[in-house]
Amino acid sequence: MSSRKDELSDRPEASAVSRRDFLKSTGVGGLAAAAAGASEVEAQTGPRAVGPGAVPVTLTVNGKRIDLQIEPRVTLLDALRNHANLTGNKRVCDRGSCGACTMIVDGRPVYSCSTLAIDVQGRQVRTVEGLAGDAGAMNPVQQAFCDADALMCGFCTPGFIVAATALLERTPNPTPEQIRRGLDGNICRCGTFVRIMEATVAAAAKGVRRV
Amino acid sequence: MSEQNAGRGAAPQPPPPIPTPDPRYAWPEKPVLLGTKVKRLDGPDKVTGRARYTYDINRPGMIYGRIVRSPYPHAKITSIDVTAAGKAPGVKAVLAWKDPGAEVVYQGDPVAAVAADTEDRARDAARLVRVRYEPLPHVSSEAQAMAAGAPKWHSAQENTSPGAQQETGDLAAGFQQAAHVVEATYSTHVITHVCLETHGTVCEWDGDRLTAWVTTQGVHQCAEGFARALDIPQSNVRVITQFMGGGFGSKFAPDAQGLICARLAKTANAPVKLMLDRKEEHLDTGNRPSAFAQVRAGVAGDGRLTAFDGRSWGTGGAGAVSNFPLPYLYQFPNRRRAHTNVYINAGQQRAMRAPGHPQGCFLTEILMDELADRVKMDPVEFRIRNAPPQAPNQMWIEYFTRGARQFGWEKRHPTGDPSAGPIKTGMGVSAHLWGGGGRGSHAHVDITSDGSVTVKCGTQDIGTGTRTIVTVVAAETLGLPVSAVKAEIGDTNYPLSGGSGGSTTAASVSPAIRIASINARDALFARIAPVLGTTAGDLVAEDGRIHVKTDPGKGLAWKDACKHLGPESISVDGEWAAGLSSSGTSGVQFAEVTVDVETGVVRIKRILAMQDCGLIVDRLTAESQVYGGVIAAINFALFEDRLLDRVTGQMVNPNMEWYLLAGMSDIPQIDVVLNNMPERGVIGIGEPPTVSTASAIANAVRNATGVTIRSLPLHPHKVLAAIEEQRAGGTA
Amino acid sequence: MKAFAYVNATSEKDAVAALAVDGIALPLAGGQDLLARMKDDIDTPDRVVNVKNALDASAAAAPGGGVRIGAAMKIVDLLDHAQIARMYPALIAAAGDIGTPQIRNQATVGGNINQRPRCWYFRNEEFVCYKKGGSRCFAVDGENQYHAIFGNDGPSHIVHPSSLAVPLVAYGARFRVVGSKGEREVVAADYFTMPTLQNVLKENVLDDDELLTHVILPAPGNVRSGHYEVRYKASHDWPLAFATVVLAMNGSTIQSGRVVLGAVAPVPWRSKPAEDALTGKPLNEATAAAAAEAAVSEARPMSGNAYKVQIARTTVKRAILKAAGIATV
Repeated sequence: MSSRKDELSDRPEASAVSRRDFLKSTGVGGLAAAAAGASEVEAQTGPRAVGPGAVPVTLTVNGKRIDLQIEPRVTLLDALRNHANLTGNKRVCDRGSCGACTMIVDGRPVYSCSTLAIDVQGRQVRTVEGLAGDAGAMNPVQQAFCDADALMCGFCTPGFIVAATALLERTPNPTPEQIRRGLDGNICRCGTFVRIMEATVAAAAKGVRRV
Repeated sequence: MSEQNAGRGAAPQPPPPIPTPDPRYAWPEKPVLLGTKVKRLDGPDKVTGRARYTYDINRPGMIYGRIVRSPYPHAKITSIDVTAAGKAPGVKAVLAWKDPGAEVVYQGDPVAAVAADTEDRARDAARLVRVRYEPLPHVSSEAQAMAAGAPKWHSAQENTSPGAQQETGDLAAGFQQAAHVVEATYSTHVITHVCLETHGTVCEWDGDRLTAWVTTQGVHQCAEGFARALDIPQSNVRVITQFMGGGFGSKFAPDAQGLICARLAKTANAPVKLMLDRKEEHLDTGNRPSAFAQVRAGVAGDGRLTAFDGRSWGTGGAGAVSNFPLPYLYQFPNRRRAHTNVYINAGQQRAMRAPGHPQGCFLTEILMDELADRVKMDPVEFRIRNAPPQAPNQMWIEYFTRGARQFGWEKRHPTGDPSAGPIKTGMGVSAHLWGGGGRGSHAHVDITSDGSVTVKCGTQDIGTGTRTIVTVVAAETLGLPVSAVKAEIGDTNYPLSGGSGGSTTAASVSPAIRIASINARDALFARIAPVLGTTAGDLVAEDGRIHVKTDPGKGLAWKDACKHLGPESISVDGEWAAGLSSSGTSGVQFAEVTVDVETGVVRIKRILAMQDCGLIVDRLTAESQVYGGVIAAINFALFEDRLLDRVTGQMVNPNMEWYLLAGMSDIPQIDVVLNNMPERGVIGIGEPPTVSTASAIANAVRNATGVTIRSLPLHPHKVLAAIEEQRAGGTA
Repeated sequence: MKAFAYVNATSEKDAVAALAVDGIALPLAGGQDLLARMKDDIDTPDRVVNVKNALDASAAAAPGGGVRIGAAMKIVDLLDHAQIARMYPALIAAAGDIGTPQIRNQATVGGNINQRPRCWYFRNEEFVCYKKGGSRCFAVDGENQYHAIFGNDGPSHIVHPSSLAVPLVAYGARFRVVGSKGEREVVAADYFTMPTLQNVLKENVLDDDELLTHVILPAPGNVRSGHYEVRYKASHDWPLAFATVVLAMNGSTIQSGRVVLGAVAPVPWRSKPAEDALTGKPLNEATAAAAAEAAVSEARPMSGNAYKVQIARTTVKRAILKAAGIATV
């Protein structure tokens, strides 16, 4: 088997050549500019650039304002988990494949791992922590999950609960097909799907009104 | 444990008699809670996001660790330079985990590590660790490793070693008696555990005392691992796991990441959180080994199995074995089996839900349908003819009969759906066994003057509902509702209990809780009896009251009774004893599928799972276990697959995009029939339901299409290839 | 991912200017592909330009009876557009099969068209393939069960990942593009590029400083269209193959047709043999089968993906049956 030293580098950053890297590297000034101080705001024309260092980011989460000082590269998921101690939603695949990070932004369920925190300023963000009523009573989806035993280890559960809540808020009387499609963005490894379906049907019957 | 189960799989035996328990402790004749549907007690914490898993632990001053791993499946490390990483912004600690000259033997093998004040900075710094490798030739498949002149997976090791060698009866005579012989090769593939919460730890030192929040299946086992590797007294180590996001057999030891985390925390003098990312999780936290068997088997004209000769092999990765029981379950009076362990440059296997059994079952159950066809017998009838005799731990004959009726098996067409159109429907069946059973566990019960009951046990709830089971057993014993009992688990500060694996937790913990609770109850009776003017032996605890057995009016409500304790609360221990649990379970599963023969896509319509588990403690959580096991096996049958590039040896799908797992629309109707057998004591149910399903599905696909696919997963390319081969006059 | 400076552009002009800086700048729309690529260090921009507020995110009537769709329009909003569903049903069918609800709630039309390949060699940093400045395609000798069965003469064997691109080519869409040198329109079929050693770093004609701003669909005319996808997982999966057919009808006879296949080639694969097999024929099962056979006549599968030929054949047949209103699975 021939040596693959030229394909496999022990310095991975040298191998990750984007198309722009490749094209720009032949241009004058490209490399020099790319090597400029990473912590300074770029001088530029046009709209203002912020970062790459930490910048103020204000989020509205579960009705409350959260002021953070974070880098633009921080996802909504990591901003809340690592910087605001809101650990209800989980990081599992970090690539928009499993739904454990599902949060509701302006009424729509999204993958918070595939969303920059800086991008949702001015939007209404709801996490699993925000679904219960003021007195801490669970919303009908949360209650139905408990009643039907629609959870086991629980790590996928917040994502499913948020996705199901978002579904029922928009589609109060879903058909089984609509429920399946609505929850197809979430994965469970323990295998609780059968009871998640039962719980979502039961919650729909109760009615889910936005808190 | 795996060898023991492997042996049992090939030659099931009726169970030994259960020792009579001390009558003080025996399970109640007429339970109030046991066997009923009790809601999972930590449900509210989990559904609201209050539950804190290891991944969620944020400690004051905490920093983040990140491991540097070999990108090569096989290489020698020439140098490791952490200097640049050590100077990167926010970095508080760096370490080399291997030495120059060391041989890395799989992609993902840990080499070095850093810790920094943010996750992003830890990742940035990790990329600055300069490791120079000399790539070495590698092997990345069983065939590559077994080929003549193959490169070695390790410079000082061979690529194969002999595994189990077993022979019973007279093979030659057995084949002579056979009217038909089937010769074929069957196989199953490598899959990874895909725990949703990746492996990892938060380590915090206080002098030479370590507190480790670990996502683990064994807090005490993990503490012992830390202590031994770090060379500190075990009493200095506290491991905490209140909630954990799945283990499936892969989370018992601290592993490299736990020890690296502890060392980084010591060096940085700060708590360190080190959680693996999804790619690392696929590469370095275990897998189910592959299984291949070249089989020759004979059946007599009357449908009785006469002979089985199997040459088997499989890979558990770099230096790790791959055993499984073969033949599985059915009675071949003359049989021989020779296994070879094959080693490749890939992550090492770890126990995965019913280790060895899904493999052994598949490698036997497809053969069973092929043999049944030869003698023109219905597959259920054929299995009944060749199953071990009915016994409490061997209920297959009854489950085949009842299950076939419930499933509508009589509507199954013989082979190959004759209906018009590209969608073909078929049914299949499979059977399985498992051990389970309990061993030593300790528990402690406190009853205080305000009536509070606290049960402490150093077990852990890995999603199976252990917290609820502990509470149910104590509440049943004390005549209280579950809301009046608090279970404290998941902490090595609590009494010793074993790891949660092998379907042994319920059977280990329940007797310990029962005994500790009886001891506590009896101690309470001794204190209350004088108040009621009677003797302790005359008292019972039921419906939230303590009263004289023969005079319910003469008693006190629980809280009122406990007031009399004053500051001298009840504080007693209990320990597992025989008589309240046993081992050995059996099950049968049926599957109905559709196959689109124009695309090769398989869809499952229905699964019926018949399962026993001894005494059911909580029917709700036990049923969830069955659903879970079945769905895990659906993934094994159809979707998930650990794929290595055949040239470079690296994993091409270390994510959750191309490592396929079922979603809601892939889940069929699943019906569960749980057979409560209180006379057998508590046994355990986590693993058995996942053994059979893939085999039943594969047999259903065979029934639908008329072609036999002898390997998993049942990807469209295999289905289409088998159909095409048959069309071209082949023998698929 | 590598740290970057973030710009919130609020107009096309600002977005173009923000991208045309020294260093590497990339546009961020829905982020459902870009952020994953950045986490895997496939892309390491110094600057990310949010274009969600800079580009048109709605649909409007186009002169001549067609529709003009802004590139920043979210897939979920496209699906809600009743008029587009009436005029271009195959486009909406394809849109409905994209990803999951969470993805559709953020992904945009432009992002879906411009997303980079899912090829696992491209996506894993250990493999320095042609598309990352390397000098080989690992699919050739490696795991190619999800790679191309058409257009395999070039250096790269990816399949184009866009669900929308296929019906857009079938409906004859054009794309409006703006850059520092001004604006231009490109016919969809010409937007996607077959890989050569010169252009292999990209999948389309977009220059580094250009943005896709609009999709312009012509008036559909008297057509029947059909769309059919085959996926392995029913929940969330990439298609194994799919097809859109748009048939201009003359009574019950097919006057002419467009047959475009997806997930089978580095570009949306327009099949002239299939189209020839449809011209002048009655719209029925026999014609569908014949056209499907013709559609795969040029297939040159790789070592591990011959099965995709059968699946591709089936998608063409069933897409035509759908166009005909004949029940199919």
